[in-house]
Amino acid sequence: MGLDLAEVLVMELQPIHAPPTSFAKKYLFTIDHKVIGKQFIWGGFLFLVLGGGLAMLIRWQWAFPHEPVPVVGDMFLGATQGRIGPATYNSIFTNHGLIMIFWAITPLLIGAFGNFCIPLMIGARDMAFPLLNMLSFWVWALSGAMVLASFVVPLGAAGAGWTTYPPLSTNVGMPGAGQSLMVGAIFVTGVASIMGGLNYVVTVIRYRAPGMTWMRMPLTVWGLWLTSILNVLFVPVLGSAGLLLLLDRMTGTQFFIAGSTGMGANAGDPILFQHLFWIFGHPEVYILILPAWGMVCDFVAFFARKPAYWYKGSVYAMTAVSVLSAVVYGHHMFTTGISPLLGTSFMLFTLIISVPAEMLFLNWLHTMWKGSIRLTSPMSYTLGVIWVFGLGGLTGLHLGTTSTDLYLHDTMWVVGHFHLTMASASFLVVFAGIAFWFPKMFGRMLPEKFGHFHCWSTVALLTLVFVGQIISGYAGHHRRLFDPYQYTFLEHLLPLNRWVSYFAFALAAIQGVYAVVFIRSVFAGKKAEQNPWEVGTLEWTECTSPPAVHNFDTIPVIVRGPHEYAHPEVRRVLGRDWISQTEPLGDSEQATGGAAAAGG
Amino acid sequence: MSSLSNPPAGDDPNWVAPVVQYDSPAKRQETTAWVGMVIFLASWGMMFGALFFMYGGIRARATEWPPEGLPAIPLFWPTINTIVIALSSVTLQWALISIRKGHRRKLTHGLVSTFLLGLAFVALQWKVWIDLNEIGLMHTSGFYGSVFYGMTWIHAAHVAVGIIALGWLCIQAVRLFYSAPRHLSIRLWTMYWHFVGIVWGIMFLTVYIL
Repeated sequence: MGLDLAEVLVMELQPIHAPPTSFAKKYLFTIDHKVIGKQFIWGGFLFLVLGGGLAMLIRWQWAFPHEPVPVVGDMFLGATQGRIGPATYNSIFTNHGLIMIFWAITPLLIGAFGNFCIPLMIGARDMAFPLLNMLSFWVWALSGAMVLASFVVPLGAAGAGWTTYPPLSTNVGMPGAGQSLMVGAIFVTGVASIMGGLNYVVTVIRYRAPGMTWMRMPLTVWGLWLTSILNVLFVPVLGSAGLLLLLDRMTGTQFFIAGSTGMGANAGDPILFQHLFWIFGHPEVYILILPAWGMVCDFVAFFARKPAYWYKGSVYAMTAVSVLSAVVYGHHMFTTGISPLLGTSFMLFTLIISVPAEMLFLNWLHTMWKGSIRLTSPMSYTLGVIWVFGLGGLTGLHLGTTSTDLYLHDTMWVVGHFHLTMASASFLVVFAGIAFWFPKMFGRMLPEKFGHFHCWSTVALLTLVFVGQIISGYAGHHRRLFDPYQYTFLEHLLPLNRWVSYFAFALAAIQGVYAVVFIRSVFAGKKAEQNPWEVGTLEWTECTSPPAVHNFDTIPVIVRGPHEYAHPEVRRVLGRDWISQTEPLGDSEQATGGAAAAGG
Repeated sequence: MSSLSNPPAGDDPNWVAPVVQYDSPAKRQETTAWVGMVIFLASWGMMFGALFFMYGGIRARATEWPPEGLPAIPLFWPTINTIVIALSSVTLQWALISIRKGHRRKLTHGLVSTFLLGLAFVALQWKVWIDLNEIGLMHTSGFYGSVFYGMTWIHAAHVAVGIIALGWLCIQAVRLFYSAPRHLSIRLWTMYWHFVGIVWGIMFLTVYIL
C-alpha cells in the first residue's frame, strides 16, 4: 500500500469544530468525542457506585440473613425494620446485574474509551458523526434516568433477574411498573449502544489518517472496532426481545406467555425469549471483553518495551472470537430441553472459541517474555487482568461442556465464573485504561504508588471473592437463593460465605478510596507531560495533554505500526528505545519528505 | 486507494499523485454517511431478523396454521398493499435518479407520489386491522394474533417514520433545496424506504401467505 501527498491533503480537509464558548456547549451538549468520553466515565462511575452498593446488600444477605442492614437499612428498608425481604432481595440482584452491565461496564469500557481513544489513535479530528455521538450519550443518560425512576414506582423495581426471563418478567410474575420501566430502559440503552457502535465502526473505516493501514492500528482500536460491530449487529436482537416483552406487558399480546394445553400451536413460548436473549447475550460477553483484550495486547507491548508478539495473530484471534461468538449462545440453554444434537453443536463451538482466546493469552505471555518490563500502574492492572481472566477462562470450560454444566448450571459457580471474566477483567481493564490515559484525558497524573496498592489489593480481593463463589457453587449453592441456609445441605456454607462477604466489603472500601484519589487527581494531580509512558501511538506523540479541541494541528502521516520498541537501529539513530508511528527513520524514509512510507 | 496513486517502481521520489483522483471532502462525507446508513440498516435488519426468528420458531413446530378456531388472514387487501409499497419504492427510486440528473421538478413529483403511496399503505393497513378485528382476530388471540399484529405494528411504525421524513423531503424539494451534486438525504431515505419495503415483502410472504 502506497501513500502520497494527495491523500494527505484530502484528509487534512476534515472539518474542525470551533472551540465551544458556553459551559453547556463545552461540558453538556458537546460534540467533542473527548468530552463525551469523559461524560461516560463520570456517568459510568455513578452507576458503578449504585451497582456496587446493591452487590454489598446481596453479600450482606448471604453473610447475615434476616439481620438488619446497618445504616442503609434504616434509610431505605424502614418498612422491614432494616431487613432485606425476599421481594426486595430479588430486586436487588436483578438491578445489580443490569446496572453493572448496561450502565457501568458498557459506558466505562466502550463509551469512555471508545470515544476517547478511537479518533486520537487513528489520527482523526473527531468521530464520523459527532452529533449522533452526543445523542448517544444523552439517550444513554435517559435510559439511566428510567432505571432510577424504576426504584420509586409502586410495586417496586424490576425483580425478574438480569436475564428478565418470562413468565416471571410478564405481568403474571412482575406486575409493577418497575419491570416495564427496566425493560424500556434496556431498549433505550440499546439504542444508545447502536448509535455509539455505528459511529465507531464508520469512524475506523473512513477516518484513519494517511498511512494508518488496518495492520498498523493499535490493538485497542481493533478490540473496540470488533466490539462495535458485535454491538451494532446483536443489540438489536435484545431490542426486539425487549419490545415483544413490553408488548406482552402493556398490550396483552402473548408472545412469551405459555397458553393452556388446549391452545396447541397458538400458545406463546417463554423459551423463545431465552433464545432471543442469548443470541444477544453471548455476543454481549465478548462485547464486554474484546476492548479489554485489545488494551491488554497494547499495554503488555508498551510496558514490556517489545513489539506485540504476533500482532496479526492477535487481530485474527479477536476476529475469530467475534465471528464464533454468534454461534455459541445455546450453551446458556443446555437445561431448557434443547435437542441433544443442538446442545452438542453449541458445546463444540463453545470449546472451539477457547482456541483463539488461548492464542491471545499466549501472545501476551510471549510479548512479556524477555521484555524489559516497566512495572507502572497500568502494567500492574494489566497483569491483574491477565490473572483474573485466566481464572475465569478456566472455570468456563466446565460450563461449556454439557455434561458438567448440567450440575453447575445456575449455581454460584456460574456467578463466580462470569464475575472473574466480565466483572473482574472488564473493571480491571477500565482501571488500567484510566491509569494509562488519565494524563491524556485530564492533563494530570494519577499517583503511581496508590495505583499499585489499589491494583494489587483489588486483584487479591476480587480473586478471593469470586473463587469463594466458585467453591460455594461447587458445593451446590444456587445463585439466586434468598436464604441458602434454610437447606440443610447448604448450612455449612455460612462461614465460607461470610468470609467472602468480608472480602467483598473490603473490596468496596478500597474502591471508595480510589474514588477519592481519582477525583482529587482530576483537579489537583501532578501536571502530566505529553508522553509520560514513552510510547509511540498518536495520542501521545502528536497531541498535547490534554489534546486540543481539534486533536491534531495537522493530520499525522503514519509510517509504522504501534509497537516499535527496542529496535537497535532506532536506539542507534535516536538514542531511545521507542519510535513514534509518525517518525521517519533513516534515509529511505526521509527521501520523500516523510510523507511516503515503505510499504506496510 | 488505486494502484495509480503509487509511483512507478524506480521512479523519482518527488513524484506526486494528482489530487483529482481523490474524492472532494463533500463527496467523502457523503460516502461516509452512506457507509453509516448501510451499517444502520444491517443493524436494524437484525432487529427484524429476530422477529422472523421468533415467528419461525413457533411455526416450525406448529402442526396446523392458522390454529384451530382462528380465521386465515384475508389476502386481497394485503396484496394490493404489497403493490402499493412496491410502487412507492419505484417512484422514490425514480425521484432519486431524476435529481442525480438535476431534474428538480421530477424529484418533487416522485417524492410527493411516494409520500401519498406511503399514506395509502398505512390507510390500507389500518383497514386490514379493522377487518380482522371484526372477524375475531385480536392481538390477544394467542400467538397467532400476537405475531400478526405485533409484527405489522412494528413495521407500520417504521413506515410512519419514513412518511414523516418523506414529508420533510417534499417540503425541502419544493423549496428547491436539492440539486444534482447535493441530495444526500434523498439518497439515504431512499435506502431506508427500500429497506422497509423489503421487510414488508418478507413479512407478506411469511406471515400472510405461508
